[in-house]
Amino acid sequence: MVRSPLTATSASQDSKMAGRKLALKTIDWIAFWEIIPQNQKAIANSLKSWNEILTSRLAALPENPPSIDWAYYKANVAKAGLVDDFEKKFNALKVPIPEDPYTALVDAEEKEDVKSCAEWVSLSKARVVEYEKKMEKYKNLIPFEQMTIEDLNEAFPETKLDKQKYPYWPHQPIENL
Amino acid sequence: MKTTKNFYLARPVSGHLAPALTDSPIRGHRNAKIAVWNSADHAVPSGTFCCRHSGPLSEECSLPRSRTLGPVTERNALKSPNGQDFNRVLQATRTFHTEQPHLAPVPPLPEYGGKVRHGLIPEEFFQYLYPKTGVTGPYVLGTGLILYALSKEIYVITGETITGLAVIGLYIFGVKKFGPSVAAFADKLNEQKLAQLEEAKQASIKQIQDAVDMEKAQQALVQKRHYLFDVQRNNIALALEVTYRERLHRVYKEVKNRLDYHISVQNMMRRKEQEHMINWVEKHVVQSISAQQVLNIFDVLTLYLYL
Repeated sequence: MVRSPLTATSASQDSKMAGRKLALKTIDWIAFWEIIPQNQKAIANSLKSWNEILTSRLAALPENPPSIDWAYYKANVAKAGLVDDFEKKFNALKVPIPEDPYTALVDAEEKEDVKSCAEWVSLSKARVVEYEKKMEKYKNLIPFEQMTIEDLNEAFPETKLDKQKYPYWPHQPIENL
Repeated sequence: MKTTKNFYLARPVSGHLAPALTDSPIRGHRNAKIAVWNSADHAVPSGTFCCRHSGPLSEECSLPRSRTLGPVTERNALKSPNGQDFNRVLQATRTFHTEQPHLAPVPPLPEYGGKVRHGLIPEEFFQYLYPKTGVTGPYVLGTGLILYALSKEIYVITGETITGLAVIGLYIFGVKKFGPSVAAFADKLNEQKLAQLEEAKQASIKQIQDAVDMEKAQQALVQKRHYLFDVQRNNIALALEVTYRERLHRVYKEVKNRLDYHISVQNMMRRKEQEHMINWVEKHVVQSISAQQVLNIFDVLTLYLYL
């Protein structure tokens, strides 16, 4: 039996909502999945699902609530001044925009991450250089048919027989033969 | 003679043995012992032959005495700059110690040793005698020497002779029959060793390559790390927005609820008043109907029944 007034956005209502814009970055989910190591896949999954939950909730809520038809209420409510009072208070009310202490944390984390990544990348490059050197050495080996045992020991130091430790032939523990 | 050109002997013959002439063969030695010649040991006119295994190991040999690992295959066979195959050409003169010693990579061993006739006598001997005595010369010499030794009893025929002949016959038979297979077996062993080494080397190379690739992939991934933080920031923004909107909606709902409550209370009161009034009116109307009027109405009704 309650008549709900039809919603009609009036200009007076819009002024209440502050001009906030939702700035969301587009996410490449495949790349996001790639960078997560195996042992953190669960956390990544929860992040993703939270994202989905929140987007759906956001989609369900219209940006502004419908506005209240004061004229109708003024006409119908018997108590004088009640509606005016409500209207005044309603317009004066400012819903606080929730504060955001968390983005700062995320930014700080990201900065640290960038730093550690840069460090890691430089280490990685050094490693790559070492590997390349080793590769060169291996690629430039003379063919085995033309090596002597000394050459072999130079190229693969693990083949060198320790004649101090095992002075008698075969210069290695029997198990290695 | 052609002008000398330098080339090098195979390693076990000690690398500091330097060059010989263009049309000299490589004296291939698969023997582990190093045969070292000093140039003083030989007269070096044209047409000398060198003995095969000669001389003690020289102290001059500055290189390690070691043995190369592998057989020489056809592809390693040395060729002279002119394309002659050294394995088949006679060695004429040799000069030694005229160049710096050469180290690795060692030129590969020739596949076959110097040619030998009847398993005993080097080919060079026959070639040496050829200009003077022709093809049959060395054979005649050999026959003559044998007959001389027999007739002069320099070599005495005893029971041992028969033994010797039999044993030598057996040796020759054995070698001819089983030699190649034994050689193949030995070669196979060596091949296995080489294959093992080769495999190890390839595995190492592959491992390093994999490591390099992985490092490169990881480096590429570093570019994408910002997505992690983007997701987090997005989540935060979404949550805040959702909260804010929910608050707005709540305010609206509450206010509207209160206003609607007032209205519905009013409506309900009015309805109640109406009903009450109706009831009251009805009651009084009913009360006001006197008994007499009731009887009159009954008469009228019975009249209607009969009609």
